[in-house]
Amino acid sequence: MESSRLKRILFVPLAKKIILTHFIFLSSLNGEYPSKPITVIVPFAAGGGSDVFVRIFQNAIRKNNLCPQPIVIKNIAGAGGTIGSRTARDAEPDGHTILCLHDGIYTAQHYGNADWGPADFEPIAATGRSGVVVAVSENSPYKSLNELMEDANSRPYQLVYGTNLGAPNHYSALFLQNGFKNSKFRFTQTGGGAKRLAQLKGGHIDVTGFSVSEYQQFKAAGIIALASMGVKREASFPLLPIAKEEDVNATHSLMQFWWAPKDTPIERISYLQDLIKEAMKTDEIKTQFKNLHLEPIVQVGKDLLNTIDLRSKNLENIYIEKPTTMPPLEWIVLIIAVTCAFFVNRESKTV
Amino acid sequence: MIDLFATPIILGLVLLGTTLGITVGAIPGLTGTMLIALSLPMTFSMEPVSGLVLLVAMYVGAVSGGLISATLLRMPGTPAAIMTTLDGFPMATSGQPGRALGLGVGASLFGGLISWLALWQLSEPMADLSTKLGPFELFSLVILALAMLAGIGDSTPARGLLGGSLGVIVAMPGMHPASGELRWTFGLTFMNEGFRLIPVLIGMFAIGKILQDVTSKDGKVEEVSGNDSAWISLPVWVSNLFNLIRSSVIGTFIGILPGIGANIGSLAAYMAAKRASRNPEKFGKGSEEGIIASEAANNATVGGALIPLISLGIPGSVIGAVLLGALIVHGLQPGPLLFRQNPEAIYAIIGTVLIANIMMFLIMVGCAKWIARLSAIPKKILFPSVTLCCIWGAYALNGMWFDVLVMLLFGILGWRMEKAKLPLAAFVIGFVLAPIAEENLCAGLMASGGSYLPLVTRPLSLCLLICSVVLIIWKRKPKNANTQSSF
Repeated sequence: MESSRLKRILFVPLAKKIILTHFIFLSSLNGEYPSKPITVIVPFAAGGGSDVFVRIFQNAIRKNNLCPQPIVIKNIAGAGGTIGSRTARDAEPDGHTILCLHDGIYTAQHYGNADWGPADFEPIAATGRSGVVVAVSENSPYKSLNELMEDANSRPYQLVYGTNLGAPNHYSALFLQNGFKNSKFRFTQTGGGAKRLAQLKGGHIDVTGFSVSEYQQFKAAGIIALASMGVKREASFPLLPIAKEEDVNATHSLMQFWWAPKDTPIERISYLQDLIKEAMKTDEIKTQFKNLHLEPIVQVGKDLLNTIDLRSKNLENIYIEKPTTMPPLEWIVLIIAVTCAFFVNRESKTV
Repeated sequence: MIDLFATPIILGLVLLGTTLGITVGAIPGLTGTMLIALSLPMTFSMEPVSGLVLLVAMYVGAVSGGLISATLLRMPGTPAAIMTTLDGFPMATSGQPGRALGLGVGASLFGGLISWLALWQLSEPMADLSTKLGPFELFSLVILALAMLAGIGDSTPARGLLGGSLGVIVAMPGMHPASGELRWTFGLTFMNEGFRLIPVLIGMFAIGKILQDVTSKDGKVEEVSGNDSAWISLPVWVSNLFNLIRSSVIGTFIGILPGIGANIGSLAAYMAAKRASRNPEKFGKGSEEGIIASEAANNATVGGALIPLISLGIPGSVIGAVLLGALIVHGLQPGPLLFRQNPEAIYAIIGTVLIANIMMFLIMVGCAKWIARLSAIPKKILFPSVTLCCIWGAYALNGMWFDVLVMLLFGILGWRMEKAKLPLAAFVIGFVLAPIAEENLCAGLMASGGSYLPLVTRPLSLCLLICSVVLIIWKRKPKNANTQSSF
């Protein structure tokens, strides 16, 4: 009696453990995948647009039991997404760590803030296209994109364009000026969508860009979109012309791309592709994409490679003019600190 | 609005959110932002209104909870509680921990209520007003805040400014806040973001304090002791009425400004109280006015930060951004139309600010006796557990050991600075404000084509700059009186 209880206590968990470890071991030998949770690196802070986007997938996959292993989100925010993308690039290429990063992966490399880019990853899929609009304040003298661009052409470097320098919305503006004669904007650092709205409303900038979702939120606050930058008109704003209709030869849109570290086995990539495609079919994703004004497209294989090629190629014609010289604040503060240190030193001597 | 909060489930969620918020806010190393970001996915499956109520209650709780550790351990649980350490801790070590807590909690309630009123009645005009501030005005405002550092705590102006400018220097590495180029990163990718606020804050205050206590040779450690009541009588509040109102209004107004709000709301209110006070020499040594100003203002920033969120759809703080995400996920369109299309969501947010503030007050006053005993926990249990929380908090931020290393290094720095009598609060505020100042100045210069003129031709900007100059010059007199009295 006593010994059987002892056996139970000692051996049952042990046996379980052995079976379990063997199972995992065997399954990994047979290439059973996924054998552990799949971590998606989101290179932005929790609660932001990209984070919410991935959490919608996480939710849809869990609710519909699409994957035997949970999807885990790891936010590695900072420096325009480059810290997270670098971590993902260096992760184990076993399909258990992947990255979700939008067009910022191209622009960070082009701007010179990352010496790695799309070529350093295995692309898995591109999901959800979001349109981009060019907007002005409702008190603005410009009634069409063409008028605005004419002015940027006849008075170069005078119109203040609020952007997030080095991020995709900066590139939307660069595409615009490349697509219309010799037009030039004066770029200023404004930050995320909410800050751009406040500055546009307050008259501190003349023009800025928003995603369709942001514009939908902000339009009642007193701003007007002049045009969208898609290849066809946005479904949510059928009356809004596209840039091409305004004689501006520029297109731009945002997509979320899923990336795996280089050398991730091809069968694992295709497993992830199937997983993403299945998730895209769920009601959860359909509703949320509608809420976020995202076009529910998913690209893999050839289409995906074409999209990536095209996006990289578009950047080749873009030349970045560095903004005006910044005041050397770091040195000014160093001087202040040294001066204060001198006074502090004198104080401690007198005491 | 009333029937919404008459349901026990909603009230239960407010209670749950407030309690969790207070707990997390009180633990050095864990922040309200972390709690809210982690709870966000959980609210996806809830009713939109319930989700919002829970998140807002956590926000209110977390800002208030920070005062507990700031007062009893001199470790601010949140950046907003930094100013509370200056007077709360000295009062607690002088045998009145209950009184220090009571003053903080009462002032928090008052600040919360004033900002709730503004949120409820004045959000549209105030939000419109806030968009009038361009980069030059914001830069001048930050300069004004930095000028206030000269008189922080009980240190001399030179020490205050030295502490502040060291903080500014430490904020320099990483991505340039305006041009997006990299600076002082030595080619290391993990330095691209520079040093992050939370590791620096908890390193300086929590780890630094532990090192200081552990290494003190003669075993002389500032101990919080005493068992006084947290109940503050009415006459005290009446004599501080003006301070309460002024601090709450300052907190609400500054709370509206994105990214600036919570951090300098309490600093500005504290310095204003010190100027207006008849006993400015007590500030930094356990002044009740100081505790009241700091705590009324930091709770007032909560309502302030929500004003642009509900009237324009602009998040006024990190937590505002998370709430914005929550609205969208629930299919609610944030922005000016939200009021017309989904008034229940707006009422849920506004109502929660009110109820969570009241619950926070009841919970904290009710538990003050037990809370004050926290300081009686033996150091050999307290220190390792605080250290563990700090390590966990720093790591969980981004899952990077680099942040833990940063925290430990800044712990050593904080301990050395304390020895050299340089104010830590000035350091951290300089650290927080430097990127904001730089971003706005550079953005303004880019927009003006490199001209500095708008700094003085824009009336509000000029006004703020004059105030900063006056602050530095005008402070000489009381300072001399102060130095004499302390000899």
